[in-house]
Amino acid sequence: MTLLSIQGLRKQFGGLLAVDDVSFGVHEGTIKALIGPNGAGKSTLFNLITGFERPDSGAALLNGVATTGMSARDVVRCGMARTFQDTRLFDNLTVIENVMVGTQVHYTPGFFAAALRLPSARKEERMIQEQAIRLLRQVGLEEWAGTPASELPVGIRRLTEIARAMATEPTLLLLDEPAAGLNSSETEDLGEALSRMRDLGTTVLVVEHDMALVMEVSDEIVVIDRGRKIAEGPPRLIQKDPVVVAAYLGEEYGNA
Amino acid sequence: MADMGGKPRLPWVSWLIAAAVACIPLVITDRFLIKVLTFVGLNVLVAIGLALLFGYTGQVSMGHAAFVGIGAYTCAFLTVRIGTPWIVGFAAAGVIAAAGGLLLALPSLRLKGHYLAMATLGFGEIMSLIFVEAESVTGGVDGFARIPPPSVAGFEFKEPATLYWLVWAVAGVALLLAYNITRFRPGRAMLSLHGGEIGAVASGVDVVGTKIKAFVISAALAGLSGALYSGVVGFVSPSVFVLSSSVMYLAMAVIGGAGSLAGPVAATALFTLLEYLNALIPSMPAPIAENLGLYQTDIYGIAIILVVIFAPRGLTGLWQRRRSASSAKGGSLAERRQGSSTQADTPARPEGLEEGEGT
Repeated sequence: MTLLSIQGLRKQFGGLLAVDDVSFGVHEGTIKALIGPNGAGKSTLFNLITGFERPDSGAALLNGVATTGMSARDVVRCGMARTFQDTRLFDNLTVIENVMVGTQVHYTPGFFAAALRLPSARKEERMIQEQAIRLLRQVGLEEWAGTPASELPVGIRRLTEIARAMATEPTLLLLDEPAAGLNSSETEDLGEALSRMRDLGTTVLVVEHDMALVMEVSDEIVVIDRGRKIAEGPPRLIQKDPVVVAAYLGEEYGNA
Repeated sequence: MADMGGKPRLPWVSWLIAAAVACIPLVITDRFLIKVLTFVGLNVLVAIGLALLFGYTGQVSMGHAAFVGIGAYTCAFLTVRIGTPWIVGFAAAGVIAAAGGLLLALPSLRLKGHYLAMATLGFGEIMSLIFVEAESVTGGVDGFARIPPPSVAGFEFKEPATLYWLVWAVAGVALLLAYNITRFRPGRAMLSLHGGEIGAVASGVDVVGTKIKAFVISAALAGLSGALYSGVVGFVSPSVFVLSSSVMYLAMAVIGGAGSLAGPVAATALFTLLEYLNALIPSMPAPIAENLGLYQTDIYGIAIILVVIFAPRGLTGLWQRRRSASSAKGGSLAERRQGSSTQADTPARPEGLEEGEGT
């Protein structure tokens, strides 16, 4: 079943056509990779899907509900969470607090309940915390729980941001270059974490340049170049697609 | 496991300090000194709001003196001209200042940094003009005189000691409520805005709502401070609610440090007392006292510069650095991490991590 359906998305910045009539789908329970050369429009596409930017035309539907046109916050509440190429952690908070900010999106107690320490606020605070702890344990971050985000190494920063996104309980997780800046063992861990997430029921759309990782974890790949979709299919077909090889992968993958 | 809220209640030190603050009028008989300490309480009330707005939410306001003014004139006008009970004027001061805060929140939804500072500065300047021009309400340049002391249910707070208790009771309650806010969901939402708005949006934080509430709360607290001020002094002059006062309030929040209530409160106490050093040290030569008063704004300015250069995280940061330095000596990395997690003065420390592991 198609969880996310991208239908003819188009976005122009001045004279630059960043995203040009792109359509594809992401099937439930799969990992789909979005690849393409730098400046192909991948991040813009992410911004359009997650409500950070408005498309000129076209739509993104999550379970049939258009997320294009929603505020970025409503997109999250609808079940689609994202990370950023340049991680956007809250450096003034600890790891667990970062994750708790994600967890608390589905809770309601506000300023009033908090100021008076109403039972509702305390109960939900406890649940927010327990959920965050469980999530940290899942991604293997519990020993970092109390560390301020500003003091984290890059790999842990990325994992923390993914944990924060997962904390919003998304049905679809969008990751923007999660392996950027990671060493090979960290990348391996990341690949395992992604596969585990998929097996636990989260669908993933990932922008990534690390081809080894992409080929290993993704069920399907969509390739865009200069704003247009140029190929889509399973990894072993994409690897051999002459258009993709010419535009992006280069010879070594063509011969593989 | 007893407190299932998971969050620490106030540390016992704060109750000790509260008790000490409450006992001061029993020990000190100098009326001037009591008055000065009452002013500290008035400023603390404003500082609590600014700590939430600036230190937690990351929003700058260069116009908070205007809210103090709105509160002072509202309370004075209602009790003197309309004849309402003081408590009604007091409450109305908070409500009307909160409405002003809502107004000031609007530009903050679009503007950031310097631009927001300019917008709030503009608001402050406009209000200080209105205080002078709206003579029928404010008394114009001559000010609003003969304001009776606060009275609740027939009891008049006219002695310096009773006024002191009234002001500090309000400040104490405000501090407690603010502390609770920072320890729960809204506090984390505010801090996340300070940490980065894009990340906050991506995590589903209600950015607009949180900003508006922070402005409204901080404005209301400033308004209540103004209402108390008018009763304490008995006279309201528009020359008090000007840019330099706004800068002083903001300075207290900056020097106090972000993500903390204790820092700004301590900075407020320090700086307010500095202004009246001659009350603390009666033997101080008059010329020195006069000069201190004269150069007060300069001292604030220099203090801000020093803080920004040498301690960008303010008093709170200095305090944390000192503590983490002592706990880091010879400790393993894990211990150090543990140390930094227990001493960080941010809400939602991973308390209960151990108890959670059992589940």
